[in-house]
Amino acid sequence: MKRVYCIIEKCLSCRSCEIACAVAHSESKALADAVKEHPLPKHRIHVESIGAEETPQTVRSIALQCRHCEDPLCAQACISGGISRNRETGEIINDPDRCVACWSCIMVCPFGVIVRYEDCHRAVKCDHCIDRGSPACVESCPTHALLFCEAEEAPIDNLAK
Amino acid sequence: MRIVIIGNSAASTAAIETIRAHDTESSITQLSRETHPLYSRCLISYYIAGKLDKNSLLFRGPDFHKKMDVKLNLGGCVSEVDPSCQKVGCTDGSTYPYDKLLISTGSSAKIPDTIPEGMRGVFVLRTFADAESIKRRIARVKSAVILGGGLVGMRAADALSRCGIKVHVIIGSDRILSRMIDYEAAQVVGKRVKENNIDIMTGADISEIMHKDGEVVGVKTNHSQVLDCEMLIVAKSVKANTELVQNTDIKVSWGIETNASMQTNYENIYAAGDVAETFDLAAEEYTVNALWTCAIQQGRVAGKNMAGKQAQYSGSVSMNSLNFWGIPLTSFGITTPKEESAYTILKESRPERNIYKKIVIGNNRIKGLILVGETANAGVLFSLIQNKIDVSPFTGELLDDRFNFGKVLQYGGNAVLDKYYRGQST
Repeated sequence: MKRVYCIIEKCLSCRSCEIACAVAHSESKALADAVKEHPLPKHRIHVESIGAEETPQTVRSIALQCRHCEDPLCAQACISGGISRNRETGEIINDPDRCVACWSCIMVCPFGVIVRYEDCHRAVKCDHCIDRGSPACVESCPTHALLFCEAEEAPIDNLAK
Repeated sequence: MRIVIIGNSAASTAAIETIRAHDTESSITQLSRETHPLYSRCLISYYIAGKLDKNSLLFRGPDFHKKMDVKLNLGGCVSEVDPSCQKVGCTDGSTYPYDKLLISTGSSAKIPDTIPEGMRGVFVLRTFADAESIKRRIARVKSAVILGGGLVGMRAADALSRCGIKVHVIIGSDRILSRMIDYEAAQVVGKRVKENNIDIMTGADISEIMHKDGEVVGVKTNHSQVLDCEMLIVAKSVKANTELVQNTDIKVSWGIETNASMQTNYENIYAAGDVAETFDLAAEEYTVNALWTCAIQQGRVAGKNMAGKQAQYSGSVSMNSLNFWGIPLTSFGITTPKEESAYTILKESRPERNIYKKIVIGNNRIKGLILVGETANAGVLFSLIQNKIDVSPFTGELLDDRFNFGKVLQYGGNAVLDKYYRGQST
């Protein structure tokens, strides 16, 4: 299945993707209005630095979101059966109506990409912008560090570089 | 092939799904002594609190058993397992021959001798039927006593206090959730609990039940304190439901003994869930981890092997996640080691923000942890426990709120990156 891949070499840590993600998951779908919404929309992509010791010029980062795992631990941990695979598209979807905010999914996600949305009393994560058609983060990236593609098509980063 | 499954909760459901993914031919007969269809046991306290209705407790669709082509026999009480004749017998005289059997009978509450049988107003909280009985009585309850401050006891306390009931929790040890968290964490969470009309009494026990016309009206504690109550919920501890195999030579210690394939000492009899004893990855000993996620994982492994495929269970880890009125709490593994000197213990406390973190490290591996208030990276740390990662290169960073997958990538290198590419959560 297609996933969003981050080319670490190209990520500037600018967090444009985080903003685009939050806007894409807002009520208004427009930045100027989204920032005034209550509750504030929440982003589901997270820019994380790889190696804090380095200088700003050499710091590397990754924009990370749900990997829509082959065999997702979050779905195994969910006590309400609210996390399952969309049989048509392959995405792992958490049903907001079933979430009881017990945070069991957060407890087991090895990527740490499910977050508490306290204002709405539920856990949220990347849904590949299913309603929108294509992931907003990918479109927003100024350096084209984000790609939405099959694993085989993703350029392999080598961390040792 | 004839498959028989005893029990109808997390482990059996996961097993059925896995069996059917590989085998649509075999017949599956499922026997459950409960009369309610498939529901999530972890949600019954939400039902009492009125947060969820009956239908929301179903963790699979109402047509699950039909879709999975399972003959479900509800309310059928299994009385006997006969490994030599390969059949299961029920109290109504019916028998079910099997080629492969899964025992997932769960666990039940232990009732102390001080609690008389059949007294009205006294409950346990294990099944939907228990929750229904509790819910029916709630309207006449002003004050309730809960015996036991573990997961079930605290969930019951949470639910009842949300119904406007004054709750007293009587705990034998020095803190709430003593099997999950340490004293300091219990203070942080306990403060929030007390703010919600829940009174906590530690080092206490019930010495006498006061009753009138067969109904509970109060309890006397071992400190001679009298608490009036119209409801008592007993949630002191649980025991694996192993009665069925007591008269067989299926091996039982804490629970039914299993190997990594979830087989008992009979190769065609499997056990999974709260009734099964498994290897604990953190404690490095065999024990029962009666937890939802463990039950699902064990059921999946049992199911795959029962379908003739290969699967191995790497072992269980005690893991819990709770949300106490907005304070998230997660714990894994060994949180209060008996011999502290054998471990490195990292701690951080920010009481003003209700944050407390503790990580227990032994032999350069994380053996357990407690996260209160900030649990965002609980799963990242859990992956370090599961994969037995040597954390010595980054021990100093583990308590940082920013310890995230990026850090794991930094130290784990391309092997970790590979999991990112393939979307592998284990």
